[in-house]
Amino acid sequence: MRSQSGEEPAGFLQPSDSEVQGWMDRAFHMAKDALENGEVPVGCLMVFKAEIVGKGRNEVNETKNATRHAEMVALDQVLEWCHLRERDVKEVFKHTVLYVTVEPCIMCAAALRLLNIPLVVYGCKNDRFGGCGSVLDISSDDLPHTGTYFKCISGHRAEEAVEMLKMFYKQENPNAPKPKVRK
Amino acid sequence: MEPDPKRRKGMEYDSWDVVPVLSDEQSQDLKLLDAYAAPIMEKRETSRLVKELATSFPLPDLQHIKRVRACKDKNTSHPLEVIVCLASDVPDQECKGRTGPTLSDLLCSQTFDPRGLGEPFLVQIPASAPLTRPQFERASKHWPTSFHEDKQITSALKGQLFSSSEKAKMQEHMMEAIEAARSGHTLGMDAVGAVVVDPQTGQRLAVAHDCRRGTHPLHHAVMVCVDLVAASQGGGAYQYEKYPACRYYVPDPQVTTSHMDVSALESHSTSDKAKENGQSYICTGYDLYVTREPCVMCAMALVHSRINRVFYGAATADGALGSRYKIHCQKDLNHHFEVYKGVMPQACEELLDSK
Ligand SMILES: [Zn+2]
Ligand SMILES: [Zn+2]
Repeated sequence: MRSQSGEEPAGFLQPSDSEVQGWMDRAFHMAKDALENGEVPVGCLMVFKAEIVGKGRNEVNETKNATRHAEMVALDQVLEWCHLRERDVKEVFKHTVLYVTVEPCIMCAAALRLLNIPLVVYGCKNDRFGGCGSVLDISSDDLPHTGTYFKCISGHRAEEAVEMLKMFYKQENPNAPKPKVRK
Repeated sequence: MEPDPKRRKGMEYDSWDVVPVLSDEQSQDLKLLDAYAAPIMEKRETSRLVKELATSFPLPDLQHIKRVRACKDKNTSHPLEVIVCLASDVPDQECKGRTGPTLSDLLCSQTFDPRGLGEPFLVQIPASAPLTRPQFERASKHWPTSFHEDKQITSALKGQLFSSSEKAKMQEHMMEAIEAARSGHTLGMDAVGAVVVDPQTGQRLAVAHDCRRGTHPLHHAVMVCVDLVAASQGGGAYQYEKYPACRYYVPDPQVTTSHMDVSALESHSTSDKAKENGQSYICTGYDLYVTREPCVMCAMALVHSRINRVFYGAATADGALGSRYKIHCQKDLNHHFEVYKGVMPQACEELLDSK
């Protein structure tokens, strides 16, 4: 492992264990809610100095845009939050933590790098698309032209996150009854 | 009068080659293994020797290796040579203090009738099956192997996959991307342009330039293009009215039917099926032209969108379609696509330098 402690942005305080647990509980609550509504069960929160500045759910179906993952939607909300409050986007992202129930995919991991997010806390691994070590390690590879690497804390309620995904993909099976799709 | 930019020197389609970006397995030199071969002194013993060697020294991971080869030197007394075993099959002690093991060293632990076999010599054999003709030709210099040739890769590597009329069309599409890049640049954006085309009809579906220096830091040209294709299909997440050069076209159904051949019909029906299943495979069957190699985010966005092929002009340091990663042929991912570089490289590299 590379030592990353010396390179954290000035003033970025890593959240305490109890804070991490609290935010992850919120993310899991969102994922459960999504599952109950027939949506991809991924919960995703962006937290800036103890405030939720972005929240996302997968919007691939309604936008027909396959890149509208929960993380990308949440990042848009952070940008919106900054614009409304006339906050410096770079400064805010440098102190924003992503809490997400599933490891971000390669695309989202690269997006998080490009925006200089310092820390990602996630639940289970993403064996199909994971960009924080599962398929590629975009989070920590040496990519001088792709933003900055970020730290990961993984494994929080991982089994539960996997279980929700399994239930969702069972629903997706064409032989299973179609879930209702919320507009 | 201004010279026509398309006619500028070095920009005609015969001045550049489309280069396929192959996987590491396809492009690297084959690894070699040390092995012992021996001459077959009596030809009539060949089939028995091969059978017994296969039992005593099976080579299960080397199915591509032809066990017997014709002797290269026509003047030797023996016409054939056979692989006896891998050097790694021989315990180290056997060779100590000598130039190499003798046949009886190799066969000592085997109940084996060495009749007809000469003294062994060291050879190198390819550790894996050749995947491309250049690999096959290099492998054959060491030891004969089988080769299941992918004719498309062979002609792509020779620069013969695309006809000059196809290259002329590529040039038109890349010119459109270059023009979009220039429009973006006049608005203060990075000079990067991208175009999505339906290769079955030749219709352009979306044109975009980089917008990351505008309202959204993630609006790279490819991301904008993907969203514009979604918009052309009734979706889309963003508005780009600030950037008139970023636009989409709703495909003309008449062009689609009149130009479509049987294979096109088939590929369209599979993408329709994917869409009926509610999966958003928005770029199924489509080609992307982009002036510079996409970054990791954009390359993975193209995987998620199920792009068909990507053509780019200039390589980039952290590029994810050849330079730093090869996401288009990354193992474990559920969609792979073809990538070609070197389309109008000069004009595309000039864009990289525009500040
Ligand atoms: Zn993602
Ligand atoms: Zn990009």
